[in-house]
Amino acid sequence: MAEQSWVRQYVILQRAALRAQLQYRVNFWTTLMGGVAFQGTQLLFLGVLLAKFGVIAGWGFPEVAFVFAMRLASHALYVVPFGALMLTDEIVRDGEFDRVLLRPVNPFLQLITRRFSLMSLGDALLGVGALIIFSRQAPVDWDAVKLAYLLLAVLGGGLIETGIATFFCGLTFVVTSTFSLRIFADSSITQFSGYPLTMFGRTTFYAFCTVFPMAFISFLPATVLLNRTSEVPLPTWLTLASPLAGPVVLALGYAFFSKMMPRYTSPGS
Amino acid sequence: MTRAGTRSVLIYRGDLITGAVTLVIQVVLAIAVWRIVYSGRGPVNGVDARTAVAYAAIAACLQSVLLPWQFSSLPMRIRNGQIATDLTRPLGLIWQVLGQNFGVLLGRLPLGAIGLAAAAVIGALMLPPGWGAFLLSLVATAGGVVVAMLCNLIVSMVTFWTFEVSGPLIVYRFGSAFLSGSLIPLWFMPGWLRSSVEWLPFQAQVYTPVSIYLGRTRGGEALALVAVQLAWVVVLALLLELVWRRARHKVVVQGG
Repeated sequence: MAEQSWVRQYVILQRAALRAQLQYRVNFWTTLMGGVAFQGTQLLFLGVLLAKFGVIAGWGFPEVAFVFAMRLASHALYVVPFGALMLTDEIVRDGEFDRVLLRPVNPFLQLITRRFSLMSLGDALLGVGALIIFSRQAPVDWDAVKLAYLLLAVLGGGLIETGIATFFCGLTFVVTSTFSLRIFADSSITQFSGYPLTMFGRTTFYAFCTVFPMAFISFLPATVLLNRTSEVPLPTWLTLASPLAGPVVLALGYAFFSKMMPRYTSPGS
Repeated sequence: MTRAGTRSVLIYRGDLITGAVTLVIQVVLAIAVWRIVYSGRGPVNGVDARTAVAYAAIAACLQSVLLPWQFSSLPMRIRNGQIATDLTRPLGLIWQVLGQNFGVLLGRLPLGAIGLAAAAVIGALMLPPGWGAFLLSLVATAGGVVVAMLCNLIVSMVTFWTFEVSGPLIVYRFGSAFLSGSLIPLWFMPGWLRSSVEWLPFQAQVYTPVSIYLGRTRGGEALALVAVQLAWVVVLALLLELVWRRARHKVVVQGG
């Protein structure tokens, strides 16, 4: 029962947020294009780079583009429902969070429905498109099991990004401005998660599995689908289980968020 | 206004420190990518691994100074009605905003310097071929800064019509990240792409100064690139004036 009302609250608030954003019509279209441009330039970059150099660490364009597409689809699953988490800094700094605390709705729920990010629709458009195109071109013999695994992997990746963002929101209560960190996380994922991450060396790779769990977003599940798990310095069963990292990271992020929330102090006081 | 702009960057010291650390990580990763791409390979399009790596490092630092995420306060001022007070100040609005943006840029200079220092430590930087190239690259950097500021301001002006500007700003940001050559040098672009990029103002922001610094563009060709920058400064300044003239009639003071 409680679950249901939680979802209902989410739908109501998110719809209001979407309506608020649709007021500015020109912005709707340009922001949509913003989402496409943001990710599109990265794809263009990989295209130009691989056209000139052929392979990166033994991975050709079909493989790299497939990882890119998985990542982008995951990213859409984060930004469409949870993109508003990015505004938390602002809300905390302006003392707007006081009002959030006064309302009888879960604060996290209010934060994620704060504003609907139109740009995320651009991400979704490109993400789904890229996934359809590049999963056909990737050297994978698709069957029902692999497709199901792909969907789980994309979902898991989205939850990882959401978990990281939630963690930063918790951090905001303590340090006020986490802008650079967020941009860093976002642009690192955008710029580097398309590459075969093992190429950065073992230490960096392990860091991408733990401190900053970017490897789970698409690279590890992609090695399963592309039959390249032997390149990964992890036990195969662990690589196989990588889609499960999503719920784990999100749970950790949310636990941190809940723990830090009491440390919020009104800026005016 | 300039000083206020600088202060607005420097005041969030924690943010600045994380900004520096993260820029260093990104520069290091970018260098790693180019080294791996080149591993065991000779020059590509006449560019050797060292030059490509140095280019990637310098371009990443320059880009982080020239194109910060929160660049201009203009869109916010228009949205919350602050613009009314700004318009009554004795200094023209354009100069106020440019001054503030320049301040933000100065505030971010230490960031870029730290990024460059990190690149130097891991042996990814190169000295320019001579004093001439070095001095000319400084001039070109200044030119790039002016072009970047003018482009940014023109895009921000869109707020006068639409109130919300995040969309155009992001298209601009990522378009220019690619078209300015900060993600990938123009040397590696296929012919059709390169010739279209050369007709746009963005290459003046990053590609021109870095390729002169690395000695990839020399002599008459380098001077020509700087002349193109100057031409863009003039064209963009005229465009800005035109946009501003029209925008003035569009000012709506919110909350007034």
